[in-house]
Order: sequence, then structure tokens, then C-alpha cells
Amino acid sequence: MKNVVFVSASPKINEQSVSKEFLEMAASLINATEFSKTFIDVRKSISAHKLSEDFETFSKAEVIIISFPLYYFCMPGILTRFLEDYYHSHTISGNISNKVKVYAIVNCGFPEPETNLEAVRVIKSFSRHIKAEFRFGVLIGGGPMMFAAKNAPFMKKAVQKLNNAFLSIAEDIQQENFAKPDHIYIGVNFPKRLYFFMGGRGWITSARKNGLQKKDLYKKPYRLNE
Amino acid sequence: MKALLISDKQYLTKTYQSLKNSIELFLKTKGFGTEIMEVGAENLTFCKGCFGCWIKKPGECVINDMMTQINQSFMNCDVVIYLSPIIFGQFSANIKNTVDRSLPNMLPFFVKRPDGSTTHPPRYNTYPKQIIVGYGETVSDEDKQLFIDVTKKHRRNIEVLIYQETSETIIKTLNTMEFGRMSDIL
Repeated sequence: MKNVVFVSASPKINEQSVSKEFLEMAASLINATEFSKTFIDVRKSISAHKLSEDFETFSKAEVIIISFPLYYFCMPGILTRFLEDYYHSHTISGNISNKVKVYAIVNCGFPEPETNLEAVRVIKSFSRHIKAEFRFGVLIGGGPMMFAAKNAPFMKKAVQKLNNAFLSIAEDIQQENFAKPDHIYIGVNFPKRLYFFMGGRGWITSARKNGLQKKDLYKKPYRLNE
Repeated sequence: MKALLISDKQYLTKTYQSLKNSIELFLKTKGFGTEIMEVGAENLTFCKGCFGCWIKKPGECVINDMMTQINQSFMNCDVVIYLSPIIFGQFSANIKNTVDRSLPNMLPFFVKRPDGSTTHPPRYNTYPKQIIVGYGETVSDEDKQLFIDVTKKHRRNIEVLIYQETSETIIKTLNTMEFGRMSDIL
């Protein structure tokens, strides 16, 4: 039975993680009779001091699926730390022997899925460094909205695309010598101007819940004279 | 004129020392007073995605560590130079944490860039000139290009330079640049 390791790398701990939800959605489509499934939550791995144990799990994977949110146009620092430390502790000591397949699921708050491309390329570079085979990425724009409104009629097409993308991963992990598919780009089918407006309103509502006024969001604490 | 140099204390290699010495000397001859901040896992943690810097204490990170000092210095100097190891074609973890946690310096809203993509608008009227210098002992051409793309495809106001065998070419390029505070270009 092949061993699939699912890595979720949202730095959030007490809130719902969209990256984890996407990962669980992908995991549910992978045949449990042919593949064993192990989950690593990078934030929990660090806070519970179980990095060594999780690095061992990671090093034994035959398939790795990494899901994370875009932070400043690339991987969040927490995932950078995990992969960098893994590389130093395992790869340099020559512990990697098997060729593994790697997939990336990256979501961002911006509506354009293309914004995630450089983050996917970083996972591809990481794969090359650990001598694994990077297969393809699923690039998701408007990630938080896609999950929050997944049952809304206007989201039906995007959710179908998500399902198809995760089915493509499930199919690809079963194949040997399968032609490498292109990355899959999925955005929300929603007017951009309205998306911007709703996003802005969401921040103002959240700030008000913390006792702030709209004008407080524009504070300039480090340059009071501007 | 004030300069801020941010580096990763986990990668104080010979290449780094040579780069740092050359850049420090360059800044001195240009009349800058330079502050050096060496970041590591023990003095600067990762961004936790809480958005407290937007909706609880706008403009300030709610985590109390070295980043408070960095954001304060960052917003009040004329030039910021990051010296970052190139790891898998992007920043090292310590430098990435610094980049992620500069989020308070932006506003939460969405705005369209000239190429049609979306970004967050600037919080301030002016920002320091920002330069990222990537270094490494054996970095592939693919990773070098990715290191440039990670920033340049999304942030037009930041310069990215790659260390190539000696510091000479970096200093030559720095000599052609104008330093000083500037408005943010989306």
C-alpha cells in the first residue's frame, strides 16, 4: 500500500483553515484501499514539538500533497521553516532514497489564481532539491470566499472545477509514466468590483467588532506626520 | 540619511560576510548611517495570519518581538536592504518571516495593479527604497530566476539583485540606483 502524506501549512491555529479544508477535500477522493493516508499540520507540529516525528513521516512518503495559503506572494514563513529544516536534517544526511511524487494546492485571497504560480514553483524547486518528482499544482484564487460560499449557486462551477482538480491528483498518483499534466487554475466566478467591495466591507465589520471605527483602519503608527 | 540592513543569522557564511562588508562600506561612502538587524528563529517568529495588524491594532503587529523594532526602523529610514539566502528559489525562513510580518505597513483593502492583478494598497505616503540581495553557494539558474520572479512579478517598487561570485557587480549596480524615500508603486 502506497503512503500518501498530506501537509497543511496554514499558520492559523484557532480558526478554520481553508488550506486544510481543501486538503481534506482532496484526501477524500483518494482510494483508501490502495493508499494509506497520513496528515501533518505544520502549525501543530511546531507548537507540539513533534517536528522530528513528522519529518520521519514526511521522509517515508511516496506521495506528498502540500496545501497552504499564499503569504506575500509565496509560501508562508512557517512552511518555509518546515521545508528548510527538513531539507537540512534529512536530505543532507542522505536519508532520501525513494522517488516521491509531489503536488501543491495553493490558495490566495486575491481573485486571480495565477498569483499563486511562484509559490508553486518554489514547491517544484523544493522537490528537485529532495530528488522528488514534482507533478503539478492546483492554484486557487478567492480561496476563503470559495470555501465560505461553496453551497451558493454562483459557486457551483468553481466547486466542480475543484473536485475535478483533486480527482486529477487522485488519478495521477495511481499512474506510472503518466504524461505530466499542466497546473490547474481555479478562480471564483464573481464580478471583481463586487469582490473588492465585499472584501473591504468585511475588514471594516471585523474592525468594528474590536471596538474600532472605519477611520482607525488607516492609522499610520510609524509616521504620525504623514 | 538612514539605511537598514536585514540579514539571516542562520546563514552567516563567507559569502554573506563579504557581501555585508562591501554593502556597509558602500553605504558609508554614500553618507548613510547603517543599522543592522540579524534575524533568527529565537528573536523573530512567523506570521500567524491573525490579521490583528489590520483589525485590532491597525499598522502594528500584535506579536511582541524583534519585528516591532524592524517595522519602526523600516518605516523611518531611507533605504532597506535585505540580504537573503536563496532557499528553493525564495527567501530563507527567517527573512520570509520578516517579509510576511511587514503586512501591517499595507492596508487590508484590494486594489488593481496596472497589469490587472490584485494587491493591497499602501498604508503610508512614502516608503524607503527597498532592495533584496539573494546569495548562496551553489544556486541553479532556475532558482535565481525564481528568486527574482517571486518579488518582481508582484511588487514593482522593490529591486532584486543576485550575488554572482563577487560583491563587485552588486556594488556597481547599487551605484546606479537612486536612494531615498519614494511613493509606493503598485
